[in-house]
Amino acid sequence: MPEYARRPFLLGAGAALALLAGPGWAHAAERPAKDSPEFPAWVMNQIDDMHRGDSSHGVMSMTVKTEHWTRSLTMESWSKGEDYSLVRILAPKKEKGTATLEAGEDLFTYLAKTGRTVKVSGAMMGSAWMGSHFTNNDLVKSSRLADAYTMALTKEGVLHGVPQYVFTLTAKPDAPVVWGTIEVTVEQATLRPTREIFYDEEGEAVRAMQFADYRTVGDRTFAGTLTVRPLDGSGEYTRVTYDSIEFDVKLPDSTFTVQHLKSL
Amino acid sequence: MNSMTLAWRNVWRNSRRTLAAVAATSLGLWAMIIYSGMVAGYLDRMERQVLDVEMGDIQVHHPEYLRSPSLYHRVDRVDEHLAALDEAGLPAAPRLLGSGLGAAGENSAGISLVGVDPERDARVSEVHARMAEGQWLDAAAPQEVVVGRRLAQMLGLSVGGELLVLSQAADGSMANDLYAVRGILGGVSEAVDRGGVYMLDQAFRELMVVPEGAHQLIVRRGPERSLEQAAARARELLPDQDVETWRELKPTLASMLDSAEGAVYMMFFIVYAAIAIVILNAMLMAVFERVREFGVLKAIGVSPGGVLRLIYLETLIQTGLAVAVGVLLALPANLYLTTEGLDLSGTVEGLSMMGSTMDTLWISQVTVATYVGPVVAMVVIVLLAVTYPALRAAFIKPITAMRHQ
Repeated sequence: MPEYARRPFLLGAGAALALLAGPGWAHAAERPAKDSPEFPAWVMNQIDDMHRGDSSHGVMSMTVKTEHWTRSLTMESWSKGEDYSLVRILAPKKEKGTATLEAGEDLFTYLAKTGRTVKVSGAMMGSAWMGSHFTNNDLVKSSRLADAYTMALTKEGVLHGVPQYVFTLTAKPDAPVVWGTIEVTVEQATLRPTREIFYDEEGEAVRAMQFADYRTVGDRTFAGTLTVRPLDGSGEYTRVTYDSIEFDVKLPDSTFTVQHLKSL
Repeated sequence: MNSMTLAWRNVWRNSRRTLAAVAATSLGLWAMIIYSGMVAGYLDRMERQVLDVEMGDIQVHHPEYLRSPSLYHRVDRVDEHLAALDEAGLPAAPRLLGSGLGAAGENSAGISLVGVDPERDARVSEVHARMAEGQWLDAAAPQEVVVGRRLAQMLGLSVGGELLVLSQAADGSMANDLYAVRGILGGVSEAVDRGGVYMLDQAFRELMVVPEGAHQLIVRRGPERSLEQAAARARELLPDQDVETWRELKPTLASMLDSAEGAVYMMFFIVYAAIAIVILNAMLMAVFERVREFGVLKAIGVSPGGVLRLIYLETLIQTGLAVAVGVLLALPANLYLTTEGLDLSGTVEGLSMMGSTMDTLWISQVTVATYVGPVVAMVVIVLLAVTYPALRAAFIKPITAMRHQ
């Protein structure tokens, strides 16, 4: 696990929590033509917005497979806007009640076994979140792709029998990001992301994220399953799947406080 | 008149010069005696610190562990290995190693977890005797830990305080538990001071879900065995494991300790070269002043060997005085340095050298060799230095010498 900040892990970052954060497919402005200069940025904004909803409440399962163990967690999640989310473990029993709270830039972990809350900071930000392939940083830090990267439509092709666009995102020189390049593959027809590959500054592919199982709830479409794999040939992965989710739920601000963590 | 009496009288013919030479020589000797005692004490303590407290003579790991220190790279069949090492007269103890986060109140810091079996560990390590506050682990108190001093400072922990330990267990689950601080360690090593949390091996196994194996075996070489012999024996007994001596694990420190001896010799050389020049000069002066006298001695039938002996005797008398003065002055100084020591704590708070923590009290180590070495070296050097003036005097031509003005 890298120990440094993974600021740009937007979709990855966004991934775990943003996904549960009420992924809604916002149909904003009209889709520009493929060849227009605004097209790449427009697509990226769509993707960013997919993972940013108003509020949500859902149950998801996470499967983590590593060289040494495989485990599955069931988690309940709440989210509000971009900056507030709460995830609580429902199963396995041993860890039931353990929760992570994201409030703005802060991250707290509530440990059910000891009844303590720890503010996650410093070195711990780079370590694994709930034993998964996400780091704590992935959960908290996300900046819009269009702000940190220059982007271009670099390829068109077919993946899984579906025509796809491939965008290559290159980090702006002064952007505070770790990834040098992100390759985003989206379906041509729907512009939904299919896959993202993250490259480090040396140009080596480090991590891949797959979006699958698109579902529609109300007027929102989102990837119901998200899989992250480190590209080190280890065969390890983390997969998050929604069992159920509802959007635009009313959640009081007090949901996202340390006090609430303790009372859960 | 025998030559001893003659030499004695000659020595005091120019008493001021003699006293100056004796003073210079005894000062140099005194400094070297003190210096070797201090260096010996320093090296010894450094080595004791590293071996007795920090790492033992030899460490055994899973072949992959040092390259990638993972919870999963464990030495298996620990009991079997320990029994084999015991039988071979190599004291050994297992340690479990892990990392995580320690939190107390609002503060948190990265920690290194060390699971030990206190009974066995006492055979290989003195770490249990390095408590700054509180007490070492007790098999009867599984929920109590001992922490490094800087860590305690950073987390605001004192004895009796509560430490939350957070990590990822071997089965992927979130390891977390509360422990009471039983003791705070004094200086052990940079790493332990900043993040060391010692707990009972059983507590470690429970927390990290590590039912068997150990990450490290600490092995001592036992009496009557060199480090290399002990390592060779351990490699024989544990062919599937990675067996390394502390010299292999800490090569920079080992070579530093080795080169420190070289530094002592260098210092000896410089100081004694200066003394040799002083002696050479003094004796040359003495010989030039007495050219006519030597001419007469030769003329009345004293052999060159006789003159040579005379001059050597004079030198030996001077050196003997210097040795007596130097040693007599060094005795109380060394007594002070071996009992009281130099307290460096006023200038620095805790010394650390290549990751090893040093005590701030610097105590000399003095043996007979501390005196014998510098004294013998000095006598030899002085005798060498005086050879040239002595030879000049011995082979002087009586006729020219007696005409000398």
